[in-house]
Amino acid sequence: MLKQTTAVTLLNLRSIPQRWGMSLTTVLSIALVVGVLLGFMAMASGFRATVDGAGSDDVAIMLRGGAMAEMNSNISRDEVRLLEVAPGIAASPEGEPLISSELYVVADGIRRASQTPANLALRGLGLHGPDMRPQFDLVEGRMFEPGSAELVVGESVQREFEGFALGDSVRLGNNNWTVVGVFSTGGSVFDSEIWTELGVVQNLYQRGSSVQTVRARLTSPDAIEALREYVENEPRLNLEVLSERAYFARSAGGTTNLIMFLGWPLAIAMAIGALAGAWNAMYASVDARTRELATLRAIGFGGFPAFIAAMVEAIVLAFFGGLVGAVATWILFDGVSASTLGSGFTQIVFAFAVTPDAVVQGVILAMIVGFLGGFVPAMRAARIPLLAVHAD
Amino acid sequence: MNDATLVRKNLFRKRLRAVLLMISILIAFLIYGMLGAMQNAFSMGTEGAAQDRLVTVNRINFTVALPYAYWGRIQQVEGVRTVAPASWFGGYYQEPQNFVQSFAVDPESYIEAYPELVFQEDQRLAFIEGRTCAAVGQALATQYGWTVGERIPLMSNIWQQQDGSQAWELDICAIFDDADGTYPTNYLMLHYEYFNESLLFGRDSFHWIAITTEDTSQNDRISREIDELFANSPAETSTTTEAAFNAAFMEQFGNIGLILTWVIGAAFATILMIVGTTMVMAVNERTREIAVLKTLGFTAPRIFRMVLWEALLLSFIGGLIGLGLAALAAQGASAALAGFLPSFGLTWTNALTAIAFMVALGLITGILPAWNAMRVRISEALGKV
Repeated sequence: MLKQTTAVTLLNLRSIPQRWGMSLTTVLSIALVVGVLLGFMAMASGFRATVDGAGSDDVAIMLRGGAMAEMNSNISRDEVRLLEVAPGIAASPEGEPLISSELYVVADGIRRASQTPANLALRGLGLHGPDMRPQFDLVEGRMFEPGSAELVVGESVQREFEGFALGDSVRLGNNNWTVVGVFSTGGSVFDSEIWTELGVVQNLYQRGSSVQTVRARLTSPDAIEALREYVENEPRLNLEVLSERAYFARSAGGTTNLIMFLGWPLAIAMAIGALAGAWNAMYASVDARTRELATLRAIGFGGFPAFIAAMVEAIVLAFFGGLVGAVATWILFDGVSASTLGSGFTQIVFAFAVTPDAVVQGVILAMIVGFLGGFVPAMRAARIPLLAVHAD
Repeated sequence: MNDATLVRKNLFRKRLRAVLLMISILIAFLIYGMLGAMQNAFSMGTEGAAQDRLVTVNRINFTVALPYAYWGRIQQVEGVRTVAPASWFGGYYQEPQNFVQSFAVDPESYIEAYPELVFQEDQRLAFIEGRTCAAVGQALATQYGWTVGERIPLMSNIWQQQDGSQAWELDICAIFDDADGTYPTNYLMLHYEYFNESLLFGRDSFHWIAITTEDTSQNDRISREIDELFANSPAETSTTTEAAFNAAFMEQFGNIGLILTWVIGAAFATILMIVGTTMVMAVNERTREIAVLKTLGFTAPRIFRMVLWEALLLSFIGGLIGLGLAALAAQGASAALAGFLPSFGLTWTNALTAIAFMVALGLITGILPAWNAMRVRISEALGKV
């Protein structure tokens, strides 16, 4: 039985080149299905990686209760003072609490790809701002001087938007700024931002002494409980305390879900279309070999080997289709930079990421298409009557 | 038996194969129709009245506010008919996840600037009169099951009142619809005065100002004059047509059009290959029959036409069913997504483009087999064993 099955399967696979037109169609159509699925998944996981990568467990972020997003939040100078003495916050070598009051405003940048304006975050931070981003690294130039209209820009901003080269003079809002440095935070959302000193933003944008958020470096991830308890028991504070990771996970959800909700149904719809194609191709393959299969039956081969052989053919073709789709998507899309409007109402630059996990899912989808598409034709192959030997 | 019958019989001679091909084609047109409808939702508000209306926002960015006084000053620019200021309210209902698109407006000027909104006369007057009144779009009212006369607390995720509360109590006085289904009705309007008087911060400012003019050919001049009016002030303005403003905003989400084009391209490439190779194969199988037809006196052009018609028929059956399903599905999806996207559906342009695609698909997949069929040589074909 095993010998028979192997023999018929090999016979089948070796004859694929004789039917190359239909076989190639099957491979390519399945490749396109997998390509569409992986394209969407790469977009979703790239976006997620960028936003999630920004969140750290030992940084706490505090917003006004109910604000949900930094942009809507508002914290007064008095509240910041109360937070400076809160428990659970790490201290700098000089003994100051490691907290950073921050305020961002929206500025227009010109996208390189489309030459259209898009919202960029211009963030003012405190002295300890960079300490809140563990992967912060000044790639070029120097940090901004407090009190002067100087900017350090994220690497992603420089890549996607025009006019942010080191030394450039930039007009944002009603003011001229000078780019004095370029920073990286390892591809996180902060790379899509422009930073300057907090006081400068408060001044130039008439924000008085209020800020939007306060970030604090915790002594340990568990210390957030102590901080939260302090904030809840202090009647003068109406703030929500979150770990930065939890904050970013919450704000990434919407966009990634939207992409996935669009991607999967599309891929499944296309898979049904390709399924019909694969079914057809397998039918043609079985039809073309009716005589051959009947002859095998006549000389004593069973129906089961014929069934297995046809199934193997279908699945092998589908597998190759999946692989071609995955490789093509990887070559075309992996690392491609794109940007979209994030929950903060500013652009988030991210890179498409074709992950191994997504490739596995894509290939599995391909093989399901192959299996379903091959099943009925394979049954037919198993049931070819002996008299079909005389077919023309 | 005429040619049409022959074409039909040929197409369905292997019924399963024909059905499978139709499913492939159906799926491609379903995807095309759904994505087309979705794109309509995104491009909504970039045509019609929006071409004539002007929008003034802060030049820094539309999220930055404009002073209250601009309302009166813009009114004095020559040729301006109505000036309708508005502010983001950032509303949500009960839970922060239940986002409610909401603006604080001056009701009288807003309704005048947006004549495409349809009100019942008594409700319109009630909305203008009642200080705590809100007017709710039909789509939004359906989503939350709101009816006229109801009182709802609407929370803001941006604003705070002096007493620390973030909820504004609103009476639903009017439910409005749009004149012809091309404008979104998934938002809510409340009185600017009611909103403004209790604000803790950010009082007496607007986020955007919609302007209609006496003569739309003067729009360029009026835009320029408005922006010159506030040049070199702390809040410089940028005035464009509403259509341009909306298009620029959608552009911020990324190149949605390009992504949709890629997907539709992939779907059509798939069926083109599947249908194309199958048609070639189907005609090859019939070589001997075609030779018989030729022997019976069918001319080569006639055979060419018959094969081409077969491909077109296949493409049209699958395509039209797919397009029909897409129209139905778009209606369903539009109802389900009422809170996020304005209502959307297929337009005549979508349908006509789809039909053009069906013709193209039929011709492309039919031409090679038709050519092969036409060139069948009787002696060779019938000589084959």
